[in-house]
Parts: sequence; C-alpha cells; structure tokens
Amino acid sequence: MTLTGMKKHVGVLEQAGLVTTEKVGRVRTCKLGPRRLEEEAAWIERHRQLWASRFDALDKVVEELKQKGDGRWTNEARLSPRP
Amino acid sequence: MDERSEIEPAPMKHRTTTERTSDRELVVTRTFNAPARIVFEAWTKPELFKRWWVPKSMGVSLLTCEMEVRVGGKYRLVFGNDGQTVMEVFGRYIEVTPHSRLVWTNDEGDEGGAVTTLTFEEKGGQTLLVKHDLYPSKQALDGELASGAAEGLPEQLEQLDELLVTLDASVGPA
Repeated sequence: MTLTGMKKHVGVLEQAGLVTTEKVGRVRTCKLGPRRLEEEAAWIERHRQLWASRFDALDKVVEELKQKGDGRWTNEARLSPRP
Repeated sequence: MDERSEIEPAPMKHRTTTERTSDRELVVTRTFNAPARIVFEAWTKPELFKRWWVPKSMGVSLLTCEMEVRVGGKYRLVFGNDGQTVMEVFGRYIEVTPHSRLVWTNDEGDEGGAVTTLTFEEKGGQTLLVKHDLYPSKQALDGELASGAAEGLPEQLEQLDELLVTLDASVGPA
C-alpha cells in the first residue's frame, strides 16, 4: 500500500471512530478509538441491512399474492372467517 | 433514473429502520404496499416464508421450515449449505392474532432468548410491520451485539475497502 493509500485508510478509520491519531513532528501515532459504540452502531446497521434485503424479497412475494387477487383469499381465509 | 424506470415504474420501496430502543429492546420497522392479511400470510406459511427469509447474500439456504402457527405451536428453521446444517433456530408461538399480531419465543440459545412481537398495522391499503425483540437482560442484547460485531468484521473491512476505492484523495487527516 502506498503512503497516500495508507493515509486514506487511516483517515476513514479515524472518521469512523475506530482509531484516534496524534501527529508529533513527522510521526503520526494511531490508537484504538471509541470503538464500542461504533461497533454497536455498525451491528445495528448490518442488522438493518439484513432485514432490508429480507423485506425487499418479501415485497416481491407480497406483490405476487396481491396480483393473484381476492378470489384466492376468500378460499384461504381460514385464519379470519368472514361474515 | 435508469432506463428501466421509464418503461416500468419501480414500485415504491420503503425504508427499513432498526433501533435499539432500550437496554433490552431492538425494533425493526418496514411498510409494505399490501393489506395486512397478505403480509401476515407471508410470515406464517412456510412455502411463502421460505421465499424471502434468507437473502441470497447470506450464502446459506433454508433447508427446513416448520411452523405450527397457533398459541403454543412450535416453529423450527434449519439453515444450511449443500444439505449440511449450519444453524438452527426454534421456539414457540405464544400469541397468534390473525393479520395483526404474532408473538414467539427464541429458544435456540443456552440461556433465555428474546421474545419477538410482530405487529401488522394496516392503513390505506399499506401495512406497517413492527418487529420488536425483548431480550431477558441488557447483557443478553449486549452479547448478541458483541458476537455479531466480531463475526461481521471481515465483511465490514471489505466494505471499508470498497469505500476506500470510491473515496477521493481529499479524505484523510488534514
């Protein structure tokens, strides 16, 4: 990795709170950042993405059921008897 | 935006939200363009459920999907790769109100698992789905978050790599 690439890498890590950096003279020192909260936020975001992709697939199933129309539902209304 | 959208307008896709609402609670919400009875069916009929529960990106498939959707009835989902079981989740339904509410336990863990409450709220032909997980303790939810965070790290790093590719040189310590 080039120095420029590394700077970018560290910059992104720093923005994400995974590291903090301090520059003294020519040396920039990295330390682990306030990561716990970030980890939780990242987990929640991944959890959201998982459900978002599930629900996108569910959209298709639901759309297909809708297309089949109400006739299907009167036959299959066991769960909710209609008057 | 793209050419396809001019030919066939894409149906409106709703946003999924996820929030930790307390030490012990995690809530996911999503609206669907369909009446509650349809969304409810998709959650309670194995042949429909199997078609959406496992996103392709997960790299596993749902090998078994058993659901006895009644109070006290059991469910069991087995995930796997090439017929080999990778993970199994199970529990029982403790509340079943057709088209509006489902509550089940998550019993696969060693200790007491979360209780999931799903509500279907229909309004103007659309359904707001709210999935609420109540964990037995703060530690239980923290543990879930911690284990998931560790597992997800390689994927996160890949995403970071992708991000780095797309970012321009201006990003970085000043």
